[in-house]
Amino acid sequence: MAGNTLIEAKGIYKSFSGVPVLQDVHFEVKAGEVHALMGENGAGKSTLIKIITGVYTKDDGQIFWEGKPVEINSYQDCQKLGVACIYQELSVIPPLTVAQNVYLGREPRKGVFIDYAKMNQMTQELIDKYQFPLKPTTVVDNLGIGQRQLIEILKGLSQDSKLLIMDEPTASLSGKEAEMLFKIIQKLRSEGVSIIYISHRLEEVYMLSDRLTILRDGKNAAILEKQDIIPAKVIETMIGKVVDESAGSRKMLHSDDSAEVRLDVKNLTDKTDRYRNISFQVHRGEILGLGGLIGAGRTEVVRAIYGVDKAASGEVWLDGKKLDPSPKASILEGIGFVPEDRRNQGFIPLLSTIKNVALTNYDIVKISGTSISDADELAMAKRAIQAIDIRPADPNKQVGVMSGGNQQKVVLGKWLMRDLKLLIVDEPTAGIDVGAKDEIYQILENLAKQGVAVIVVTSDLQELLRVSHRIIVMRKGDIVKEFKNVEVTQSKVLSAGQGVEEEAE
Amino acid sequence: MKRMNQTTMRRLISIGMLVILVVLFTILAGAGKGKFFNFDNLIEVVRDASIPAIIGVGVTFIIITAGIDLSTGSMMALVGMTMANIYAYTLLPFSVMILAGILVGLLCGFCNGVIVAKFNVPEFIGTLATMSIFRAMTYIIAIRDANGVIKSQPMNHSGYTWLGGGFGKFYFVIIAMIIIVAAGQIILKYTRYGTNLYSVGASKKAATLSGIDVAKTRLIAYVITGFTVAVGAVFTTARLQSATTAIGMDFEFNPIAAAVVGGVALSGGSGDVIGTLIGALFMATLENGVRKLSINTAYQYVIKGAIIIAVVIFDATYKARMDRKAREEGAKEGLE
Repeated sequence: MAGNTLIEAKGIYKSFSGVPVLQDVHFEVKAGEVHALMGENGAGKSTLIKIITGVYTKDDGQIFWEGKPVEINSYQDCQKLGVACIYQELSVIPPLTVAQNVYLGREPRKGVFIDYAKMNQMTQELIDKYQFPLKPTTVVDNLGIGQRQLIEILKGLSQDSKLLIMDEPTASLSGKEAEMLFKIIQKLRSEGVSIIYISHRLEEVYMLSDRLTILRDGKNAAILEKQDIIPAKVIETMIGKVVDESAGSRKMLHSDDSAEVRLDVKNLTDKTDRYRNISFQVHRGEILGLGGLIGAGRTEVVRAIYGVDKAASGEVWLDGKKLDPSPKASILEGIGFVPEDRRNQGFIPLLSTIKNVALTNYDIVKISGTSISDADELAMAKRAIQAIDIRPADPNKQVGVMSGGNQQKVVLGKWLMRDLKLLIVDEPTAGIDVGAKDEIYQILENLAKQGVAVIVVTSDLQELLRVSHRIIVMRKGDIVKEFKNVEVTQSKVLSAGQGVEEEAE
Repeated sequence: MKRMNQTTMRRLISIGMLVILVVLFTILAGAGKGKFFNFDNLIEVVRDASIPAIIGVGVTFIIITAGIDLSTGSMMALVGMTMANIYAYTLLPFSVMILAGILVGLLCGFCNGVIVAKFNVPEFIGTLATMSIFRAMTYIIAIRDANGVIKSQPMNHSGYTWLGGGFGKFYFVIIAMIIIVAAGQIILKYTRYGTNLYSVGASKKAATLSGIDVAKTRLIAYVITGFTVAVGAVFTTARLQSATTAIGMDFEFNPIAAAVVGGVALSGGSGDVIGTLIGALFMATLENGVRKLSINTAYQYVIKGAIIIAVVIFDATYKARMDRKAREEGAKEGLE
């Protein structure tokens, strides 16, 4: 089936503000193959795809299409070549029909009027050819996410695309929808269409792909042929640690069960089934790591505990008291929350450190006369700056212009002003430089020493192992594994999150 | 059971609201001569609905792109006053006067479009500013008496008087409304431009990726609105037989209200001009009925405002529910 090389990227370099993201990357897809692209978060997968689709320009290197060198400077360029990128429901227009979406901007016409009969017929032909469960005249509003993705695929096929790029196509699909997609992928391959398949889910990759390129730290780590795609090997290659698991990737966990239970979560279940029957406890002075893949439901669980979103059922107990979670109640009970999306949810960029710190703490800022005491606000900001070394140390500085690490310190700082019982941090060091990372770990450890219970949600395996006293792993909305007082390695955590059985325990 | 299409459902709801209102006023204000339910009065209602419906066609196009136009009332005044100047100070024929009015409307719409679509000024503030500018320009070119006091300019040309009337009770403004609404509906549903409007309103990013010129699509919607406003201005001055600086004062609310009641979502991407027509008829019925009941007209505005808020709240909750259901069911259907 797989024939000549369809697209080849050679010696690709790319850096952002001096930080190299891709170095001498080689990537090649043959006609009619499903080629998987894997790597940990930040390995450079999406950067590589964005270069191929013309969203980013490469610093160096060359791209060949069917053997001829090409320049791809815009998404339109790559469309003209015959590349279609399947975004997750991003580019379907809900009020239009399936056929209208497929031929959007290219509608067949009779005079000035759209020739609906012809358009629907052309769409039907495509649907028949690839056996998609769709009807041309259905309004997209009435379709599920899986079907919306199929429309994207149809759109690509209607333009005679030879290469489809699918970035985490199953992330928001149900099991059945995913199975339907897999069948269609097989069908497309047999029709000679090439597919670049990007997924965190190893089992899909094993099942579908003919070849596999693994990136690690922006470099080629391996290109595997079908027979060499073995779970343990792939995980090792992605993490980059050889079998003996050298320092940093293994850790002995120490969790003290005898310490008093601070947080007790009982059977928390989501309204839309993103997580179910979640039960766990966090003890005084313990840092609990919550591991798993993106989309496993971790963020949803901690948001429900803090009360940003309401769970359908289940209970949250703090220090033996049942809570009715809402952000305001949580703050007053002594729960702090550092959200994943720092810039949009963590702080107010246009306000100063003073105001950002005070915002969560107006119940404890002193009142002078009828208004808030400026002096007390300032004093509080100064305490925060001193406690965790926020730089610049100017309390009047707008937080929006500070570095990522210091922004995160401001977010943490406002919680440190309170008498915390529980602190939840979601991806605490995403986009933060190494030095500031260590400082943030230090802050978390100090809090734990003072008796605060800490929950750390992170997709960074190194970080998970570095800070956690105990680890629980979620997968597709369930807690699938707990690591407690045992030796743990990155690959064990990753395997649990992937749903891959570790054979040699 | 086959689930009913969301759009069809919403259409039935707006028709239902109109019917309920008509029945309600028939009960409260009675049927027969001089009362609410009789041919003469109902034709009056349709005539009152015509101008908001005509202008509503353009405004609907804009709202479908997720935009808004607050300047239509002032624009109407400026078009009317331009024609009054030509009528008062030149000997140009009646047809040239109307053409000049239409041209001013197109130009105003073009200005709005450039401000909003090319310079990316938020629609709300951009058209709020031109609302003020167009109104001020109307005052600047207003016709004054010997003492410099603004006066109302009579426009009693025989052709113009004729245009303000119709074939008996079938007023020309109603005929114009039917033509413009029909043309608007055809453009929306059967041309690429119509599809582009929905695409831009649903997702500017997706539209761009599909090769649609988003700025041009939006700009044209404002120009079309300029045209419909000019047509509205012609019929308004023809009916009043004069032009004043007060024409179209607070009018901009009406076409927007008509669109919203008719199911055109302010968030863009849905609705059509038939819906807006139903909305315009609903608002006109409301005004007429309240008048027939001799309720203080000030209450009319309270009721109108309250209805708009209720409809928007309803649409938001209803849409969220229907979307969720549709997705769930759609996902199931796709697998069978």
